[in-house]
Formats: sequence, C-alpha cells, structure tokens
Amino acid sequence: MHVELVIQLIINGLLLGGVFALAALGLNVIFGVTRIVNLAHGQIVILTALTCAVIFQRFGITPIEALPGALIGGAILGTLIERLLLRRLPEHAQSREWTSLLITFGVSYFLVGLSLAIFSGDFRSVAYLTDSWHVGGIDFPKAQLLAFILAILIAGFLGILLRSTKVGRALRAASQNLDGARTCGIDIGRMRTLSFALGCGIAAASGALLSMVYAYNPDTGSQFTLISFSVVVLGGLGSYAGAIVGAGLLGLAVSFVGFYGNTHFGSMMPYIVFILVLLFRPTGILGKPATT
Amino acid sequence: MNLRILGFAALAVLLLASAMVPLSGNGYILSLVYISLLFTGLAYGWNIISGYAGYLSFGQITFFGIGAYVVAIGTTRFHAEWWLCALIGGAFCAALAVPMGYLMLRLQGPFFALGMLGLAQSLRIATDTIPFTGGAEGIYLPPGSNAVHVYYWTLGVLVLAIVLTAWIDRSAFGLRLRALREDERAAGTLGVDTTSSKVQAFVLSAIIPALLGGGYAWYLTYVEPSSIYSTEIELQTVAMAILGGMGTLWGPLVGGILMSQVSESLSTRFPQTHLMIFGALIVILLIALPRGIVPAISERLNRKKTAAKARPQEAVT
Repeated sequence: MHVELVIQLIINGLLLGGVFALAALGLNVIFGVTRIVNLAHGQIVILTALTCAVIFQRFGITPIEALPGALIGGAILGTLIERLLLRRLPEHAQSREWTSLLITFGVSYFLVGLSLAIFSGDFRSVAYLTDSWHVGGIDFPKAQLLAFILAILIAGFLGILLRSTKVGRALRAASQNLDGARTCGIDIGRMRTLSFALGCGIAAASGALLSMVYAYNPDTGSQFTLISFSVVVLGGLGSYAGAIVGAGLLGLAVSFVGFYGNTHFGSMMPYIVFILVLLFRPTGILGKPATT
Repeated sequence: MNLRILGFAALAVLLLASAMVPLSGNGYILSLVYISLLFTGLAYGWNIISGYAGYLSFGQITFFGIGAYVVAIGTTRFHAEWWLCALIGGAFCAALAVPMGYLMLRLQGPFFALGMLGLAQSLRIATDTIPFTGGAEGIYLPPGSNAVHVYYWTLGVLVLAIVLTAWIDRSAFGLRLRALREDERAAGTLGVDTTSSKVQAFVLSAIIPALLGGGYAWYLTYVEPSSIYSTEIELQTVAMAILGGMGTLWGPLVGGILMSQVSESLSTRFPQTHLMIFGALIVILLIALPRGIVPAISERLNRKKTAAKARPQEAVT
C-alpha cells in the first residue's frame, strides 16, 4: 500500500463525507421537529442531482449556479409534502409513526417513478471542474473540494439560523419539547411545515452538490435515505458534532471499499454500515442515548 | 358470526373457481389469475409481521428473492426438482429468519423499516456481484417449466397463508401480537414474551414469500437480481395490504383482488409509470382510507348491528 494512495483515499472520503453530512442534516431537522423519518429524503437528493445533470448538459448551467434554485425548489416541495400529505396525521404516537412512514414510503416511490419517467434509468454525473490541485503529491479534486466547502458553509449557515434567530430558536424548542413549545405560544403546525421546507431544501441543495461528485440514477435514492439516516444515527439523534464524525466515517468507508473491493461493494457499504450501526451502536458514536 | 361464515363461504367459492382456471386452457387468463394469487399471498405474508405485529417491514422481498434463487440454483446446478428446491428455500428462510429476527426486531419503528430495506438492497447488490448467483446476467432455468404446476403451487401456498392468518386472527398468539403492536412495553409487563412472539411472526412472514418466490422463479424460467429483488413487487404488496386493511384476516384478499386487476391494466397501458402510480396510490389510500376497506366496512356493519339492538330499548324508555 502506498502511503500517498491511502492519504488520497482518506481525503476523497472526507470530502464526500461533507456532502453526506449536509444531506443528513436535512433529515435531522425534519425528524427533530416532526418525529417523522422522511423516507423520500434520498429521492429528493437524487431528483435534484438528476435535474442538475440535465440542466448542465442542455444549457450549461453549472450545479453551483443552480444551487439557490435547488434550495428553493426543495423547500417548495417540502412545504407541499407537509401541507398536503402529512397535515392530518393522527396525533397518537404509534399510528402517527406508522402512517408517516407509509406515506413517505409512497412519496419516495412516486418520486422514483417520476425520475425514471423523466430521466430514464441511466447513470449520470456532471463533468464540471474535473481537474484537481496538486499539493505535495496529493490531488485535491476541485469539484469535491468545492462541494465540501459549500456543504460546510450551508451547514454553518443553518447552525447560525437555528442558534441565533427567533425562528431558529422556536424550531429548536419545538424539537426539544413539543408541549412546552406550544405553551410558550409557538405555532407547532407552522414549525412542522417550516422544518419540512428547510429539511427538503437542504436535501435538494446537497443533491446539487452531489451531482458533481457522484454517479447516480433514479434507483440511487434509497441509498441516500439510508446514508442520511445512518449518519444521523451514527451521530446520535440530535447531536450535530456526532453527525459530522459519522458522515466522515461513512465517506471513508465508501471511498476505501470502493477502491479496494469493487464499486458494487462500495455502493453496498451504506447499507452494511447502516445495519451494523443500528445493531451495535444505536446510541451513536459520541454516545448520547437516542430518545424515541 | 354469520358474517364470518359468509366470508368463508365466499372464499371457498373463490378458491374453487381459481382451482378451475387451468382447466380452461387459456394461458392468458391463467397468467392473470396467477399474478393475483401471487400478490395476494405476498400480502398475506407481509400482513403477519407488519399488520398483526406492527413491525413495518419494507424488506420482505428478501425472502421472496432467496426462495427464487434457491430454486434457480438448485435446478441448474444440482438438477433437483423445482418443488423440492422451493420447499428447501422455504425451510432455509424459516431457519434464517430466526437469527435475523432476533437481531433486527430489536429495532423499532423507522429503524426496523429502514433496516429491512437496507438488508434487501444489500442482498440485491450481493446477488448482482457474486458469480455463484449468476451476477447481473442472471440464471436461465432448465427447460420443463409448467405454468399450471406453478399455478397450483401458488394457490396451495395462498390457502396455507389464509389458514395461517385465520388461526392467528383467532388465537392467543394473535392476541399477543396485537398487544405488542399497540404497546410493546405494556404487553411485556402483562407477561407477553414479546421477543419470541415477534420472532415467530417474523418466521411465518418469511416462509410464505420464500415459497412463492420459488414458484415464481420456475414460472419465469429466468432470474436476475433486479426483477426478483424488485421494489415494484414490494411496493405493490404493501399497497394491497393497506388497501384491504392491515392486520385483518380479509384485508389482503380484498386488496389483492382489487389491486392486481388495477395493476394489470396499468402495466399494460402505462408500463413506464407503474412505480409512480403505485407510490401515489399508497399515499392517497392512507389519506382517504387510512385503515383500509375491510375495517371500514366491518365498522359500518357493527354500527348498524348495535343500532338495531339499541332501538327496542329506546322504545321501552
């Protein structure tokens, strides 16, 4: 094994991990406020990535330029999903969980079907900024680096939003204690819609970034639901630091197995990591007990 | 009570009619009814773990796939009879479901649902890669496939599934499952051995798809990962159980009959948008008829019955 190769793989893995972290953040925001695991999450990521690929091909609009549009489009889609489909879920915890899982499951396959009808089943990727910077014998692929930096920027921006704005504090209050937040006069219904808008917007943004660094077809969506969910679980629900560590680890796993095994096993990695995490480390690596 | 007898009588007529179908010698009708039987059977299998025990699984296709591949490999490499291989596949999945159940059923809600989905997907990718299972090219089964044999096999498995569900619906075991669906911790406190109950339910809902998958492989005469570990089959199964009513004896049957007809006409008219329509259908059903057709009807009938009982008393007072 060459040391340089290993370093290269580590860098690629970590850069990919940044985008995973962003995707997972979207899922986490939604889960925090609504207690709904949005099974259509990965499909929103992939639908955006596919759209970016086609727009780039046809009109030469780069994914970076498309990023604001993706964010807004995702937010609109999220608002629609929450308002039209999830508004009248039963409040009873058990049936709420059931129904929301089944509905988002249905939505996810609706989106798979839609993507298949529009984009066909071909694998796509955006060939933009394909060269790299060489620093001391190590390649920093430009697209990956840019995607990573933008992902961290968006995540940081979201952090500021959640921490220091009134709306952000209301969102966090709703995710910590629903009844308490309601008592304080926070409109829970609005917070739920907002969390969906925010979560799906972030999913779409990570899809736009991902479009440059990954190959995908409509079927890849469930992979991203699971990747995002594993990252959230790895981090422990609600722990953002843990989520970033988790995303880094998952990125490393995909990059190493993809290189030393083969690409098939590379794409199997998210599932395997996911199941292992659930079975052996359901409280996350940084060890906050998961509360459900 | 009378309603139940009526239901079983209707079922008997229906099963007898389907047993006659191969006599007509019409291949097209045979294949239509075969697909309905297949999906209804799958819906019954799914209904045990997800409907009665309340563990939503999006990965029961795993067992369907293993069953199909056991038949494909058994008939090509070991030149065994297909039905023998299908039985072995069923037994293998039952055995596999025990340790798998102990591991996976510790997970709850979305964790279990996604865990099973992940399992099915990784198995599909593994089947795609490993040469033993024929990789992405798949396996051509030896000649000698007979649609009528598979048809009766599937009908038999469906009857088995219905009998099993009828037993669960009435037995203490079924009560235990429903108790843990409503509140697992409370059920445990009341002395229900929740772990072994749900593992048993998991095993039962693994055997049925495995047996059906074995027949399906022999019917298709060709297996390949994406058509066997098919998300469309999974999706359609779930949609049928929801339409009819999860956790009920008649739900999968009603859902199966209605939906396979819809599905057939959809897939011939709009083959491209099959997934899309089924996804949308699940969502619409859950919003419009969240508990399914069967509970909605039986509730209405019960209301009428209690109303009829209540009326004479009202007259007295």
